[in-house]
Amino acid sequence: MKEYLFPQEGFRVLFFIGKGGVGKTTTSAAVSVALARKGYKTLIVSIDPAHNLGDVFEVKLEDKPKQITENLYAMELDMEKLIKNYLKHLEENLKHMYRYLTVINLEKYFEVLSFSPGIEEYATLEAIREILQEGNRWDIIIFDTPPTGLTLRVLALPEIALIWTKKLIEIRKKILEKRRAIENIQGERKFVIEGEKYKLPSREEEDPVMRELRSYEGEIKLVRETITNSKRTSVIAVMNPEMLPLYETERAHEALRKFKIPFNLVVINKIIELEEDIPRIRVKIEAQKKVLREIEGIFRGIDIVMVPMFEEEPRGIEWLEKIGGLIVGD
Amino acid sequence: MFENIKAFFKGFFRSFKARSTEYIEFEERELENVFALVLMGSFVGVPSPPTTLVMRLMPHMIREIYVMQRRAGEMDDIFGEIAAMFEIT
Repeated sequence: MKEYLFPQEGFRVLFFIGKGGVGKTTTSAAVSVALARKGYKTLIVSIDPAHNLGDVFEVKLEDKPKQITENLYAMELDMEKLIKNYLKHLEENLKHMYRYLTVINLEKYFEVLSFSPGIEEYATLEAIREILQEGNRWDIIIFDTPPTGLTLRVLALPEIALIWTKKLIEIRKKILEKRRAIENIQGERKFVIEGEKYKLPSREEEDPVMRELRSYEGEIKLVRETITNSKRTSVIAVMNPEMLPLYETERAHEALRKFKIPFNLVVINKIIELEEDIPRIRVKIEAQKKVLREIEGIFRGIDIVMVPMFEEEPRGIEWLEKIGGLIVGD
Repeated sequence: MFENIKAFFKGFFRSFKARSTEYIEFEERELENVFALVLMGSFVGVPSPPTTLVMRLMPHMIREIYVMQRRAGEMDDIFGEIAAMFEIT
């Protein structure tokens, strides 16, 4: 019984990571079908820009949960569209507020922003956060993620974001302290800009910047606490029986340990099983044997499931259920 | 006559109050400037905090951004400001 796949404390979150093309989407879809069959209300979300979750289920998916079978819902998030909409909405907001700001060329800034390093990771984190905040609607939430590198950076983000937030809160506190000191002598202060008067906030509860900082901190803490709790989150690595994916999975294993994110299962996908010897692919078979020999020693204490390569591409619910059964077990 | 004396005292105390908070206000402006710089440093190449956080704070930062811009404008005369504060003429 793989208890790390099932809900223990509230809803369960599963992240499927791995190189591009190893079969993450098929594997995560298969697990979602198997878990839904067991009676858990399951949501599977693809945050991979490659988007082939819909192809695997043979339905068209949108950015809202769509029912696939009993207990199983799926959605695809289009990151690029999300980022674009997000920035546009913000630009409208700010243009209106900063009419007088001519020095900071906001328009240019926004043009660059959508390509700025980190924006994709933050947008992905936002998307994950939004889904986790409504997590109680589901028993199990499965994330089909982009290739390893980006996913690991996203999972590391909460830690970094919290350091920044803490520092900014410190400075803000000092500012408010000074404002209160001045207010005690001068009385309430007004800040006049472009003929409009604003009251200068001096107490934490009336300062919108502090409010925003605190609520951001709370949201990020929620994500961090969820993904570092082994009763709530499991990371499952998918790989092919080749040397490169093995090294990558090993690196991911190290990184996840550093962020204290529970890593419980390695699925080795597309293992070639031959009845007769075919000389032309002997090299590949040898490499596969080597990986399968080494893997037990590398991932101690982590479950390993082997999925053979099938004669046809596994698509549609029946196939998925078969593979899912292999991985989830009984 | 009485009114005049009252006005005199009022003015006297107002200037006294203004003088007494001058330094704190200077410090406050400096902190506001730093806050805006840290937050929007990516405009000038300082490592940047979470983009989403910057975006969320921006709409509330009218005063800080204003202070930061004025500060940038006065960069070449920062000593002038300090000299004025300590009445060095």
